[in-house]
Amino acid sequence: MTMTRATVGVIGVLDDIAVAQAKTGDLTALERVYRAYEGMVYSLARRICRTEEDAEDVLQETFLEVCRSIRRFRGAEPGSLTAWVKRIAANKALMRIRRQKYRDADDLPEDGAVAGQRAPDVGLQLDLEAALLRLSETSRAVVWLHDVEGYTHEDIAEMMGRTVSFSKSQLARAHQRLRGWLGGE
Amino acid sequence: MRKHCTMMELLAVRDGEAGAWAREHLTHCPHCQQELELVHQRAAQLRALPAWRPPRDRWAAVRARAQRERRSEVLRRGTWGALALAAGLALMVGVRSAMPNGAGSLPEPVARAGEAQLASLMDESRELEAALRSYGPEGRVLNARAAGIIADLEDRIALVDAGIAQVGRRGSRDDLTDLWRSRVYLMDALVNAHVTRASYVGF
Repeated sequence: MTMTRATVGVIGVLDDIAVAQAKTGDLTALERVYRAYEGMVYSLARRICRTEEDAEDVLQETFLEVCRSIRRFRGAEPGSLTAWVKRIAANKALMRIRRQKYRDADDLPEDGAVAGQRAPDVGLQLDLEAALLRLSETSRAVVWLHDVEGYTHEDIAEMMGRTVSFSKSQLARAHQRLRGWLGGE
Repeated sequence: MRKHCTMMELLAVRDGEAGAWAREHLTHCPHCQQELELVHQRAAQLRALPAWRPPRDRWAAVRARAQRERRSEVLRRGTWGALALAAGLALMVGVRSAMPNGAGSLPEPVARAGEAQLASLMDESRELEAALRSYGPEGRVLNARAAGIIADLEDRIALVDAGIAQVGRRGSRDDLTDLWRSRVYLMDALVNAHVTRASYVGF
Protein backbone atom coordinates (compact mmCIF):
# COMPACT_ATOMS: atom_id res chain seq x y z
CA MET A 1 0.00 0.00 0.00
CA THR A 2 1.39 3.41 -0.93
CA MET A 3 1.63 6.36 1.40
CA THR A 4 -0.61 9.30 0.55
CA ARG A 5 0.17 12.88 1.41
CA ALA A 6 -2.36 12.74 4.20
CA THR A 7 -0.43 9.87 5.80
CA VAL A 8 2.97 11.53 5.68
CA GLY A 9 4.08 12.55 9.13
CA VAL A 10 1.82 10.17 11.00
CA ILE A 11 4.38 7.46 11.63
CA GLY A 12 6.70 8.59 14.33
CA VAL A 13 4.09 10.77 15.99
CA LEU A 14 2.72 7.76 17.81
CA ASP A 15 5.29 5.75 19.69
CA ASP A 16 4.95 2.16 20.87
CA ILE A 17 4.11 3.29 24.38
CA ALA A 18 1.17 5.37 23.19
CA VAL A 19 -0.13 2.43 21.17
CA ALA A 20 0.32 0.07 24.13
CA GLN A 21 -1.56 2.52 26.37
CA ALA A 22 -4.33 2.87 23.79
CA LYS A 23 -4.68 -0.92 23.75
CA THR A 24 -5.53 -0.83 27.45
CA GLY A 25 -8.43 1.50 26.67
CA ASP A 26 -6.70 4.60 28.03
CA LEU A 27 -8.77 7.44 26.61
CA THR A 28 -5.89 9.91 26.60
CA ALA A 29 -3.80 7.52 24.50
CA LEU A 30 -6.78 6.82 22.24
CA GLU A 31 -7.15 10.54 21.71
CA ARG A 32 -3.53 10.63 20.55
CA VAL A 33 -4.36 7.92 18.01
CA TYR A 34 -7.34 10.01 16.92
CA ARG A 35 -5.26 13.18 16.56
CA ALA A 36 -2.62 11.33 14.57
CA TYR A 37 -5.02 9.79 12.09
CA GLU A 38 -8.09 12.02 11.91
CA GLY A 39 -6.83 13.83 8.80
CA MET A 40 -5.97 10.62 6.97
CA VAL A 41 -9.30 9.03 7.81
CA TYR A 42 -11.38 12.08 6.98
CA SER A 43 -9.54 12.60 3.72
CA LEU A 44 -10.13 9.00 2.65
CA ALA A 45 -13.79 9.19 3.68
CA ARG A 46 -14.26 12.51 1.90
CA ARG A 47 -12.93 11.04 -1.33
CA ILE A 48 -15.24 8.05 -1.17
CA CYS A 49 -18.40 9.56 0.30
CA ARG A 50 -20.31 12.25 -1.46
CA THR A 51 -20.94 14.69 1.34
CA GLU A 52 -18.97 16.30 4.12
CA GLU A 53 -21.50 15.03 6.66
CA ASP A 54 -21.10 11.44 5.51
CA ALA A 55 -17.33 11.76 5.74
CA GLU A 56 -17.62 13.12 9.26
CA ASP A 57 -19.84 10.21 10.24
CA VAL A 58 -17.30 7.79 8.77
CA LEU A 59 -14.60 9.53 10.79
CA GLN A 60 -16.61 9.04 13.97
CA GLU A 61 -17.57 5.43 13.20
CA THR A 62 -13.97 4.59 12.33
CA PHE A 63 -12.57 5.81 15.62
CA LEU A 64 -15.35 4.25 17.61
CA GLU A 65 -14.33 0.96 15.98
CA VAL A 66 -10.70 1.75 16.79
CA CYS A 67 -11.66 2.27 20.46
CA ARG A 68 -13.57 -1.04 20.45
CA SER A 69 -10.98 -3.13 18.65
CA ILE A 70 -7.52 -1.73 19.32
CA ARG A 71 -6.88 -4.23 22.11
CA ARG A 72 -7.04 -6.94 19.43
CA PHE A 73 -4.60 -5.08 17.14
CA ARG A 74 -1.47 -7.21 16.83
CA GLY A 75 0.62 -5.33 14.25
CA ALA A 76 4.21 -4.69 15.22
CA GLU A 77 5.99 -3.51 12.09
CA PRO A 78 6.16 0.22 11.21
CA GLY A 79 3.05 1.43 9.43
CA SER A 80 0.86 -1.46 10.53
CA LEU A 81 -1.32 0.75 12.72
CA THR A 82 -1.72 3.18 9.83
CA ALA A 83 -2.76 0.37 7.51
CA TRP A 84 -5.13 -1.04 10.14
CA VAL A 85 -6.85 2.29 10.79
CA LYS A 86 -7.05 3.00 7.06
CA ARG A 87 -8.61 -0.37 6.39
CA ILE A 88 -11.29 0.28 9.02
CA ALA A 89 -11.96 3.69 7.47
CA ALA A 90 -12.22 2.25 3.96
CA ASN A 91 -14.62 -0.43 5.15
CA LYS A 92 -16.78 2.09 6.98
CA ALA A 93 -16.89 4.40 3.96
CA LEU A 94 -17.77 1.54 1.60
CA MET A 95 -20.42 0.31 4.00
CA ARG A 96 -21.89 3.78 4.04
CA ILE A 97 -22.09 4.13 0.27
CA ARG A 98 -23.63 0.68 0.04
CA ARG A 99 -26.34 1.69 2.48
CA GLN A 100 -27.18 4.96 0.85
CA LYS A 101 -28.90 5.45 -2.45
CA TYR A 102 -27.62 8.56 -4.04
CA ARG A 103 -28.57 9.66 -7.49
CA ASP A 104 -25.85 8.04 -9.54
CA ALA A 105 -23.96 10.47 -11.71
CA ASP A 106 -23.14 7.60 -14.03
CA ASP A 107 -26.74 7.73 -15.16
CA LEU A 108 -25.93 10.96 -16.93
CA PRO A 109 -24.59 10.63 -20.45
CA GLU A 110 -20.83 11.10 -20.47
CA ASP A 111 -21.00 14.19 -22.60
CA GLY A 112 -24.22 15.50 -21.07
CA ALA A 113 -24.14 19.13 -20.06
CA VAL A 114 -25.25 20.02 -16.56
CA ALA A 115 -27.90 22.74 -16.50
CA GLY A 116 -26.33 26.16 -16.52
CA GLN A 117 -23.01 24.90 -17.82
CA ARG A 118 -21.53 24.85 -21.26
CA ALA A 119 -23.29 23.04 -24.08
CA PRO A 120 -21.98 19.57 -24.98
CA ASP A 121 -20.42 20.70 -28.22
CA VAL A 122 -18.15 23.13 -26.40
CA GLY A 123 -16.41 20.17 -24.81
CA LEU A 124 -16.88 19.66 -21.14
CA GLN A 125 -13.63 20.27 -19.36
CA LEU A 126 -13.79 19.65 -15.64
CA ASP A 127 -11.05 19.90 -13.12
CA LEU A 128 -10.05 16.70 -11.44
CA GLU A 129 -11.93 17.39 -8.20
CA ALA A 130 -15.18 18.03 -10.04
CA ALA A 131 -14.63 15.06 -12.32
CA LEU A 132 -14.09 12.78 -9.32
CA LEU A 133 -17.33 13.97 -7.78
CA ARG A 134 -19.13 13.25 -11.02
CA LEU A 135 -18.14 9.58 -10.94
CA SER A 136 -20.47 7.11 -9.32
CA GLU A 137 -19.55 6.42 -5.71
CA THR A 138 -18.50 2.88 -6.54
CA SER A 139 -16.22 3.95 -9.40
CA ARG A 140 -14.78 6.76 -7.35
CA ALA A 141 -14.13 4.44 -4.42
CA VAL A 142 -12.37 1.90 -6.64
CA VAL A 143 -10.17 4.43 -8.44
CA TRP A 144 -9.23 6.09 -5.16
CA LEU A 145 -8.53 2.89 -3.26
CA HIS A 146 -6.54 1.37 -6.11
CA ASP A 147 -4.67 4.28 -7.69
CA VAL A 148 -4.12 6.43 -4.60
CA GLU A 149 -4.27 4.21 -1.54
CA GLY A 150 -2.60 1.27 -3.26
CA TYR A 151 -5.10 -1.47 -2.52
CA THR A 152 -5.08 -4.42 -4.91
CA HIS A 153 -8.16 -5.49 -6.83
CA GLU A 154 -8.31 -8.51 -4.52
CA ASP A 155 -8.41 -6.21 -1.46
CA ILE A 156 -11.09 -4.01 -3.00
CA ALA A 157 -13.19 -6.98 -4.08
CA GLU A 158 -13.05 -8.35 -0.54
CA MET A 159 -13.96 -5.02 1.04
CA MET A 160 -16.80 -4.45 -1.38
CA GLY A 161 -18.07 -8.00 -1.31
CA ARG A 162 -17.70 -8.20 -5.08
CA THR A 163 -15.44 -9.98 -7.56
CA VAL A 164 -11.97 -9.00 -8.75
CA SER A 165 -13.41 -8.56 -12.27
CA PHE A 166 -15.93 -6.08 -10.87
CA SER A 167 -13.16 -4.03 -9.31
CA LYS A 168 -11.14 -4.06 -12.55
CA SER A 169 -14.10 -3.07 -14.69
CA GLN A 170 -15.04 -0.26 -12.29
CA LEU A 171 -11.47 1.05 -12.44
CA ALA A 172 -11.47 0.97 -16.24
CA ARG A 173 -14.85 2.67 -16.29
CA ALA A 174 -13.62 5.41 -13.97
CA HIS A 175 -10.51 6.04 -16.06
CA GLN A 176 -12.52 6.03 -19.26
CA ARG A 177 -14.87 8.66 -17.88
CA LEU A 178 -12.14 10.80 -16.39
CA ARG A 179 -10.39 10.61 -19.74
CA GLY A 180 -13.55 11.83 -21.46
CA TRP A 181 -14.19 14.64 -19.02
CA LEU A 182 -10.64 15.82 -18.55
CA GLY A 183 -9.49 15.40 -22.13
CA GLY A 184 -5.82 15.00 -22.98
CA GLU A 185 -4.65 16.95 -19.90
CA MET B 1 -8.49 -7.16 -36.24
CA ARG B 2 -8.35 -4.84 -33.21
CA LYS B 3 -6.84 -1.43 -33.66
CA HIS B 4 -6.00 -0.18 -30.13
CA CYS B 5 -5.88 -1.29 -26.50
CA THR B 6 -8.98 -0.93 -24.35
CA MET B 7 -8.79 1.05 -21.11
CA MET B 8 -8.84 -2.19 -19.17
CA GLU B 9 -5.85 -3.45 -21.17
CA LEU B 10 -3.96 -0.19 -20.61
CA LEU B 11 -4.58 -0.45 -16.88
CA ALA B 12 -3.48 -4.08 -16.95
CA VAL B 13 -0.26 -3.04 -18.69
CA ARG B 14 0.33 -0.39 -16.03
CA ASP B 15 -0.29 -2.90 -13.24
CA GLY B 16 1.87 -5.61 -14.86
CA GLU B 17 -1.03 -7.90 -15.59
CA ALA B 18 -1.49 -7.45 -19.34
CA GLY B 19 -1.66 -10.21 -21.93
CA ALA B 20 0.90 -10.69 -24.69
CA TRP B 21 -1.12 -8.91 -27.39
CA ALA B 22 -1.48 -5.64 -25.42
CA ARG B 23 2.19 -5.60 -24.40
CA GLU B 24 3.34 -6.22 -27.95
CA HIS B 25 0.89 -3.70 -29.40
CA LEU B 26 2.16 -0.97 -27.09
CA THR B 27 5.70 -1.34 -28.38
CA HIS B 28 4.74 0.10 -31.76
CA CYS B 29 1.48 2.09 -31.32
CA PRO B 30 2.07 5.79 -30.50
CA HIS B 31 -1.66 6.32 -29.82
CA CYS B 32 -1.80 3.64 -27.12
CA GLN B 33 1.56 4.76 -25.73
CA GLN B 34 0.11 8.23 -25.28
CA GLU B 35 -3.04 6.87 -23.67
CA LEU B 36 -0.95 4.84 -21.26
CA GLU B 37 1.02 7.95 -20.40
CA LEU B 38 -2.28 9.74 -19.68
CA VAL B 39 -3.28 6.91 -17.34
CA HIS B 40 -0.03 7.39 -15.43
CA GLN B 41 -0.56 11.17 -15.35
CA ARG B 42 -4.12 10.85 -14.08
CA ALA B 43 -3.05 8.56 -11.23
CA ALA B 44 -0.24 10.97 -10.34
CA GLN B 45 -2.67 13.89 -10.34
CA LEU B 46 -5.06 11.96 -8.10
CA ARG B 47 -2.27 11.24 -5.64
CA ALA B 48 -1.31 14.92 -5.67
CA LEU B 49 -4.76 16.14 -4.69
CA PRO B 50 -4.66 17.93 -1.35
CA ALA B 51 -5.70 16.16 1.84
CA TRP B 52 -8.90 17.22 3.56
CA ARG B 53 -9.13 18.28 7.17
CA PRO B 54 -12.25 17.49 9.20
CA PRO B 55 -14.31 20.65 9.68
CA ARG B 56 -15.18 19.80 13.28
CA ASP B 57 -13.53 17.94 16.10
CA ARG B 58 -15.38 14.64 16.59
CA TRP B 59 -13.24 13.28 19.40
CA ALA B 60 -15.65 14.38 22.16
CA ALA B 61 -18.47 12.45 20.47
CA VAL B 62 -16.29 9.38 19.92
CA ARG B 63 -15.09 9.48 23.51
CA ALA B 64 -18.61 9.83 24.91
CA ARG B 65 -19.89 6.87 22.89
CA ALA B 66 -16.88 4.74 23.73
CA GLN B 67 -17.46 5.44 27.41
CA ARG B 68 -21.15 4.60 27.14
CA GLU B 69 -20.34 1.35 25.39
CA ARG B 70 -17.75 0.52 27.99
CA ARG B 71 -20.28 1.10 30.77
CA SER B 72 -22.85 -1.06 28.99
CA GLU B 73 -20.27 -3.80 28.61
CA VAL B 74 -19.38 -3.61 32.29
CA LEU B 75 -23.08 -3.67 33.12
CA ARG B 76 -23.63 -6.70 30.92
CA ARG B 77 -20.67 -8.51 32.43
CA GLY B 78 -21.74 -7.34 35.87
CA THR B 79 -25.23 -8.78 35.54
CA TRP B 80 -24.09 -12.15 36.84
CA GLY B 81 -22.37 -10.44 39.73
CA ALA B 82 -25.48 -8.42 40.45
CA LEU B 83 -27.61 -11.55 40.32
CA ALA B 84 -25.28 -13.16 42.83
CA LEU B 85 -25.51 -10.04 44.99
CA ALA B 86 -29.29 -10.07 44.76
CA ALA B 87 -29.36 -13.76 45.64
CA GLY B 88 -27.15 -13.11 48.63
CA LEU B 89 -29.32 -10.23 49.79
CA ALA B 90 -32.48 -12.27 49.30
CA LEU B 91 -30.94 -15.03 51.41
CA MET B 92 -29.98 -12.51 54.05
CA VAL B 93 -33.53 -11.10 54.09
CA GLY B 94 -34.98 -14.60 54.30
CA VAL B 95 -32.74 -15.56 57.21
CA ARG B 96 -33.53 -12.31 59.01
CA SER B 97 -37.29 -12.78 58.66
CA ALA B 98 -37.01 -16.35 59.96
CA MET B 99 -35.20 -15.22 63.11
CA PRO B 100 -36.91 -14.20 66.36
CA ASN B 101 -37.95 -10.59 66.53
CA GLY B 102 -34.88 -8.37 66.69
CA ALA B 103 -32.29 -11.16 66.29
CA GLY B 104 -31.77 -10.48 62.58
CA SER B 105 -31.50 -6.78 62.89
CA LEU B 106 -28.73 -5.07 60.94
CA PRO B 107 -26.29 -2.84 62.75
CA GLU B 108 -26.76 0.90 62.99
CA PRO B 109 -27.28 3.06 60.99
CA VAL B 110 -28.69 0.61 58.44
CA ALA B 111 -31.34 -0.63 60.82
CA ARG B 112 -32.67 2.92 61.25
CA ALA B 113 -32.78 3.63 57.57
CA GLY B 114 -36.33 4.47 56.68
CA GLU B 115 -38.30 5.76 53.78
CA ALA B 116 -37.10 9.31 54.33
CA GLN B 117 -33.47 8.26 54.38
CA LEU B 118 -33.81 6.33 51.12
CA ALA B 119 -35.51 9.30 49.47
CA SER B 120 -32.79 11.59 50.80
CA LEU B 121 -30.03 9.39 49.36
CA MET B 122 -31.79 9.27 45.99
CA ASP B 123 -32.09 13.07 46.01
CA GLU B 124 -28.45 13.40 46.90
CA SER B 125 -27.50 11.09 44.03
CA ARG B 126 -29.59 13.13 41.60
CA GLU B 127 -27.96 16.34 42.83
CA LEU B 128 -24.53 14.87 42.26
CA GLU B 129 -25.55 13.75 38.74
CA ALA B 130 -26.70 17.32 38.05
CA ALA B 131 -23.47 18.73 39.45
CA LEU B 132 -21.49 16.42 37.19
CA ARG B 133 -23.52 17.40 34.13
CA SER B 134 -23.11 21.11 34.87
CA TYR B 135 -19.36 20.55 35.09
CA GLY B 136 -19.43 19.31 31.46
CA PRO B 137 -17.01 16.37 31.77
CA GLU B 138 -17.33 15.35 28.09
CA GLY B 139 -15.70 18.54 26.93
CA ARG B 140 -12.71 18.36 29.24
CA VAL B 141 -9.34 16.81 28.77
CA LEU B 142 -8.08 14.45 31.44
CA ASN B 143 -4.66 13.09 32.13
CA ALA B 144 -4.21 9.32 31.96
CA ARG B 145 -4.33 8.81 35.73
CA ALA B 146 -7.51 10.83 36.19
CA ALA B 147 -9.11 9.07 33.21
CA GLY B 148 -8.29 5.69 34.77
CA ILE B 149 -9.74 6.68 38.14
CA ILE B 150 -12.87 8.04 36.51
CA ALA B 151 -13.36 4.95 34.36
CA ASP B 152 -13.00 2.78 37.48
CA LEU B 153 -15.57 4.84 39.39
CA GLU B 154 -17.98 4.74 36.45
CA ASP B 155 -17.62 0.96 36.29
CA ARG B 156 -18.37 0.66 40.02
CA ILE B 157 -21.40 2.91 39.68
CA ALA B 158 -22.64 0.75 36.81
CA LEU B 159 -22.35 -2.32 39.04
CA VAL B 160 -24.20 -0.62 41.89
CA ASP B 161 -26.91 0.44 39.41
CA ALA B 162 -27.25 -3.17 38.30
CA GLY B 163 -27.60 -4.17 41.96
CA ILE B 164 -30.25 -1.49 42.51
CA ALA B 165 -32.17 -2.72 39.50
CA GLN B 166 -32.09 -6.30 40.77
CA VAL B 167 -32.73 -5.63 44.44
CA GLY B 168 -35.32 -2.95 43.72
CA ARG B 169 -37.68 -5.57 42.37
CA ARG B 170 -37.52 -8.00 45.26
CA GLY B 171 -35.19 -6.76 48.00
CA SER B 172 -35.93 -4.87 51.16
CA ARG B 173 -35.79 -1.12 51.67
CA ASP B 174 -32.74 -1.51 53.92
CA ASP B 175 -30.80 -3.31 51.20
CA LEU B 176 -31.79 -0.65 48.70
CA THR B 177 -30.69 2.05 51.11
CA ASP B 178 -27.26 0.45 51.40
CA LEU B 179 -26.91 0.34 47.64
CA TRP B 180 -28.04 3.96 47.26
CA ARG B 181 -25.60 4.98 49.96
CA SER B 182 -22.82 3.29 47.97
CA ARG B 183 -23.99 5.08 44.86
CA VAL B 184 -23.89 8.47 46.58
CA TYR B 185 -20.41 7.74 47.89
CA LEU B 186 -19.16 6.76 44.41
CA MET B 187 -20.92 9.67 42.69
CA ASP B 188 -19.35 12.06 45.17
CA ALA B 189 -15.94 10.54 44.43
CA LEU B 190 -16.64 10.80 40.69
CA VAL B 191 -17.55 14.48 40.91
CA ASN B 192 -14.44 15.12 42.99
CA ALA B 193 -12.28 13.21 40.53
CA HIS B 194 -13.61 15.32 37.67
CA VAL B 195 -13.17 18.57 39.57
CA THR B 196 -9.76 17.92 41.04
CA ARG B 197 -8.56 15.45 38.34
CA ALA B 198 -6.10 14.35 40.96
CA SER B 199 -6.92 12.05 43.75
CA TYR B 200 -9.42 9.42 44.76
CA VAL B 201 -9.46 7.36 47.91
CA GLY B 202 -10.37 3.76 47.12
CA PHE B 203 -13.75 2.40 48.11
